[in-house]
Amino acid sequence: MPNQNTPADSVLQQVVGYQEALNHQEQLALEGTDLSEHKGKVSNTIAKLHPKRLHLKVIDIIEDTSSTKTLRVASKSNALLPPFQAGQYVNLFVNIGGTNSARPYAMSSSSQTREHYDLTIKRATPGFVTHYLLDQVNVGDELTSSGPMGTFYHNPLFPVDELVFLAGGSGIAPARSMIHEIADRQLDYKFHLIYVSSFEDDVIFEQELLQLDKEHDFLTYDKIISRPQETYQGMSGRLTEERLRELIGVTDRKMFYLCGPTPFNQSGRQHLQAIGVKPRHIRIEANGPPKNPESLEGWPQQLDPAAEVTVTIQGQGSFKARVDEPLLNSMERNGYTVENACRSGECSLCRVKVVKGSVLNPPEAHLRKTDAQYGWCHSCVAFPNEDIEIQI
Amino acid sequence: MTVFDAMVFDANVFDAIVIGSGNAGLSAATALQRGGAKTLLLERHNIPGGCATSFVRGEFEFEVALHQLSGMGTEEQPFVMRQIFEQLGIMDKIEVVEEHDLYRFVLPGEIDITLPADWDDISRVLIEHFPHEAQAITKFMTLIESISLESFMNVPQLKRNNDSEFLDSQCANYKQYGLRSAKDVFNELFTDQDLIAVLGAYWCYLGVATNDLPFVDLAVMIYAYAKFKPAHIKGGSQAISSALLQSFQDAGGHAKFNCGAEKILTENGNICGVRTETGETFRCSTVISNASPIHTYYELLDMPKAPEQVTHDLKSRRLGTSALVLYVGVDCPPEQLGITNASTFIVRDRDEEVAVANMRTLNPPVSIMVTCYNLEDPDFAPEGKSSLSILCLQHCEPWDSVPDEKYAETKYRLADTLIDQAEVVFPGIREHLEEVEVATPLTMMRYLNTPGGAIYGFEQNTQDGTLFRERMNAIGGLYIASAWYGMGGFQPTYMSGNSAGHAALKYVQKNQIQQEVAENA
Repeated sequence: MPNQNTPADSVLQQVVGYQEALNHQEQLALEGTDLSEHKGKVSNTIAKLHPKRLHLKVIDIIEDTSSTKTLRVASKSNALLPPFQAGQYVNLFVNIGGTNSARPYAMSSSSQTREHYDLTIKRATPGFVTHYLLDQVNVGDELTSSGPMGTFYHNPLFPVDELVFLAGGSGIAPARSMIHEIADRQLDYKFHLIYVSSFEDDVIFEQELLQLDKEHDFLTYDKIISRPQETYQGMSGRLTEERLRELIGVTDRKMFYLCGPTPFNQSGRQHLQAIGVKPRHIRIEANGPPKNPESLEGWPQQLDPAAEVTVTIQGQGSFKARVDEPLLNSMERNGYTVENACRSGECSLCRVKVVKGSVLNPPEAHLRKTDAQYGWCHSCVAFPNEDIEIQI
Repeated sequence: MTVFDAMVFDANVFDAIVIGSGNAGLSAATALQRGGAKTLLLERHNIPGGCATSFVRGEFEFEVALHQLSGMGTEEQPFVMRQIFEQLGIMDKIEVVEEHDLYRFVLPGEIDITLPADWDDISRVLIEHFPHEAQAITKFMTLIESISLESFMNVPQLKRNNDSEFLDSQCANYKQYGLRSAKDVFNELFTDQDLIAVLGAYWCYLGVATNDLPFVDLAVMIYAYAKFKPAHIKGGSQAISSALLQSFQDAGGHAKFNCGAEKILTENGNICGVRTETGETFRCSTVISNASPIHTYYELLDMPKAPEQVTHDLKSRRLGTSALVLYVGVDCPPEQLGITNASTFIVRDRDEEVAVANMRTLNPPVSIMVTCYNLEDPDFAPEGKSSLSILCLQHCEPWDSVPDEKYAETKYRLADTLIDQAEVVFPGIREHLEEVEVATPLTMMRYLNTPGGAIYGFEQNTQDGTLFRERMNAIGGLYIASAWYGMGGFQPTYMSGNSAGHAALKYVQKNQIQQEVAENA
């Protein structure tokens, strides 16, 4: 409140500008409110754009292929869902047989449709969450997710005219969203989709993509089947440097988006660089923790991937975990949890502090420079390689 | 009957709870714990720092908010922040990088001048550019030095002795110039409007134009940066935040992340605990809130009505500015873009009042700042690349009317104009873009939880200063530490937290003695 320790005889009265400031304060007080109109405004504003959780219900399930379904989800309250940028994902929280876990899924629907999101899910082998979502979830069921997240979207600040999207398998999901976004918003980009599937009957959104290709001049669609039957007429085989050179032609003023299995993304990046694409124009969607951590640089020699160590959660308890299982997964199986979203090392929400022992941080872990100094790791991609104690 | 009638476990009892781990919260918590108070630090995000943080995109780790750390001084000539960091136990954990220039100021085609971070060189450079103002420049430099020293050493004494002879003899410059607007003083000393624009450039760090800014604040800022050098910390401001957290934890402090406070609990007008959003209740006699007073008193406090002292104070307050920031990684070294200084102000009008008026619109900004972090410290970017921030100050209000579905589009449209403006001086940014992330006032709001996404607290015109404000003490044991009480920026918030921590420590200790007396009675 205005300072009451400054009576008229305060020496500060002699300071030039002091009285003017007091007058100004009085004037402001007369014209102003007690700012209580801001009560609740911050949380309401943020909840609209970046809600921490979405309460969803499944309104439709579309069988795309024998191994893939699209769950169409809407807000439980029938409100519009928050806006997102095509390519972003939500992290779907599940409870499977008592174990809390989650997996991120990119929206495959247009960013201009906010009545529902399409989440396209392909069965993983071996799998845990995908099996549950494909086999156990029915229309009418309720689901909880994070808000839209992720940095795998086209940022219009990049000076390019064309987006080239290399999709492998269910990596088509964000590509479909981007195509619809360009169509719905009539954006001034060309879009070249190069979509690789293993088998002919494995192509997700096949008819829709053909239709879109027919309807829109901005879209070029190349389908590749890597393991076709003998009778197959179209493009087949692996995505090689030569094939990319032939399909893409000039690489100038193009942004390249890669979303598929990790080996697909890695070889795709190499081939693109070999045909002259600048690293700054290649963006790769994160794809979960590394599958074979024992092959990573830094894996202790002689450490058997099947070995078990003790993980102690400070002040809470401890459990045994395999050294080749991501820390977050073993925590979840043992009833512990931390906030998480990308589960691929990027978003840093699952950051925990290792106070005893050490973990292996793969290249997927986008740690901050000072994290190593204080033992912070991203638990979704960290592998305990000895007994550890962590703070959560 | 109280909320704690149920059996309370020791693990849920603290001397003090600090809400929020921004600069002030971390400093307060560390001061409390190192002072012997059992302290709990609550943070709603997953990482400590508030503004003082970083994030990773691709190969880049972007500094969020720190541009030039003031108050460090050099090893030979240490200044107040080194002492505070020493007391907080982090001087051995951080590595200071000194900067060589205050800033480059560019009005394209008209003004282009670089002020070195050296007291004598500043005068030389200014006189070289503005020879006709040589005398006034010398007078100005003498004035800002005297007024800074008076305000550090004598003004605090004056407030206690209330002696008009002391005012005249020991605070003469302060008396004559201190509380006048910076603009007013500039106009008295100088005639060249270019010179006035160059010297006023730091208004950006305070968020109000020089016509609203007390001269003493700008004078102290220029003096301190020139005399004690702007600094950086290796690893960015996140390194400071992480070090403070470690020091707090090493002293036995308990921190909880992803755990916001939901209610501050009181009993007979005094603090008695905090309930978290995860549903846990902790008992304590003292709370330091690093949140805005609006959030603290209107949302967190369990009282049906905020104290009269608070509502009265808030009536003369106005929300300060937020900012629009582009975090940019380019795949070329700074020299290739023509970047020669860590900090560059690029303006389209020499009168910053034009820029300030524009801050309430979604029009292209009039005044931007470009910071190149790896110019003085190559570790700040991958080899051969550069890490930049391009920003303008902007209020949140024009964003209130942007529909949700137009938000992203609007943000990129405006961001594009900042790149355009930066490219007038540093062509090639867009061609070399490798990573770019845009934060709007709504982003600031999301991560700082401040009304209007304010980055410096309330609008810092003269009457907002602590000289004209009383500490909010209507609730026994509740302390506010942040940019919302005092100045914004790094040094002020560390200092605010540290001093609130010490004040709270006294309260904790007094409380403990009273409790012991009561128990022994």
